[in-house]
Amino acid sequence: MSEQEYKFSDIIAVPAIRERFEKVRKYFFLRESTYDMSNRCNIRCEGCYYFQGDKHLFEENLNVSDWQQHMRAEKERGITFVVLAGAEPSFVPDLCKTCYDEIPLGCIASNGIKVLPREIDYRIHLSVWGNDETSLEIRKAKGMLKRQMENYHGDTRAIWVYTFTPVNIDEAREVTKKLAANNQQITFNMFSAPVGYDGHLKHTPETLARTRLVMTELLQDYPETVIYSPYNIMAHTHEQGLHDLFSCSYPRMNPSTDIGLGRSFRQYRTDLQWDRAAACCVPDTDCDDCRHYAAGSAVVTARMYRHATTPRHFSAWLDYVDTYLAVWVKGYEKGKNLCSEMVEPPEQC
Amino acid sequence: MASANSETVTRIAGIIINELKLEDVTPETFDGDLDLVDEVGIDSMDLATIALVIRDEYGVRIDEDDYPKLTTVAIIAAYIDTKLAEKE
Repeated sequence: MSEQEYKFSDIIAVPAIRERFEKVRKYFFLRESTYDMSNRCNIRCEGCYYFQGDKHLFEENLNVSDWQQHMRAEKERGITFVVLAGAEPSFVPDLCKTCYDEIPLGCIASNGIKVLPREIDYRIHLSVWGNDETSLEIRKAKGMLKRQMENYHGDTRAIWVYTFTPVNIDEAREVTKKLAANNQQITFNMFSAPVGYDGHLKHTPETLARTRLVMTELLQDYPETVIYSPYNIMAHTHEQGLHDLFSCSYPRMNPSTDIGLGRSFRQYRTDLQWDRAAACCVPDTDCDDCRHYAAGSAVVTARMYRHATTPRHFSAWLDYVDTYLAVWVKGYEKGKNLCSEMVEPPEQC
Repeated sequence: MASANSETVTRIAGIIINELKLEDVTPETFDGDLDLVDEVGIDSMDLATIALVIRDEYGVRIDEDDYPKLTTVAIIAAYIDTKLAEKE
């Protein structure tokens, strides 16, 4: 049978594929939007997307009642998953708690210096940009990883998000080793240049290839610690960015308001307003260079149809979705990857 | 787009009822003009699954760019009938 001749029913007749499809399908109800929580941060990282553009110039709304009403309205329009980010949500724990009380599924992106109260039971993404020496250089903060690991020791909400840049590729080994020794989890992100950025953190074909090798090595060496899959590696270290590969479906790149992310996704600033022209999970990122993990989580996941061409491609897509859910949804357990090889993304249907 | 064959409408309604596990409605009683997003509550992942089942049954590929246009069972059925006629 040629690769083109598979029916979807044939693909999901494979027991392992069917089981995984049924597992991830239960989460198809997730509808996300993202919220900037404060316009302050206790560190200032080179290439930080938040401080690009004008997002940080808007006033903070610190009124708990306004946030409560806002979350209720979000729920009303179908939002079931919130991503609390920019600049540093741990400065406003009462607002985070208000969000959690209204919409109990979500994630907080934090630098981990200030610990978030346990009663906010969202997944917590802790950003790590290399070992502590490199962090000091890029993020101007001492002992980042050490402090994060102390703050979130034994905390199952936490997962570290290692952002690969051209200057920290090999350091991922020592960071992963430390986290593995502490039974903590890590996933991977790729530095994606903000609009107009042309600094030394921007990836090149050579650094993409080196990153791919290190990711592959770490996934093999630390399968319990690294929450990732070969298809994640392929999608995020490809010379083409996510938009070129998968056609980004966020409003910023997708004019349709009929269905999917184009219809429901919003990115709110700290004043609780949003702008469709800027709406994606990482506003002010250069779309041509976007390989961001959060973008991929939505953009690759949305492309189920085009991956349902062969059992191999569909398995790779299922691994990606399984990874996405394990990274973003607290309590979701990732299964063993179904596809151990790196398949090329399929072309658009 | 021409109006759809009633057999196709009934069959598409059956696929949607089955995939969405809708209760209290049969393919024959399903209103083909209901807005699938606003009134039935389907989203892009549901639609992708339905599109795959349609691909199996009719051998018709639905372009991803066409998803937003497929807002009712009647429109999906007409889309399929058109694609099938083009194949003949």
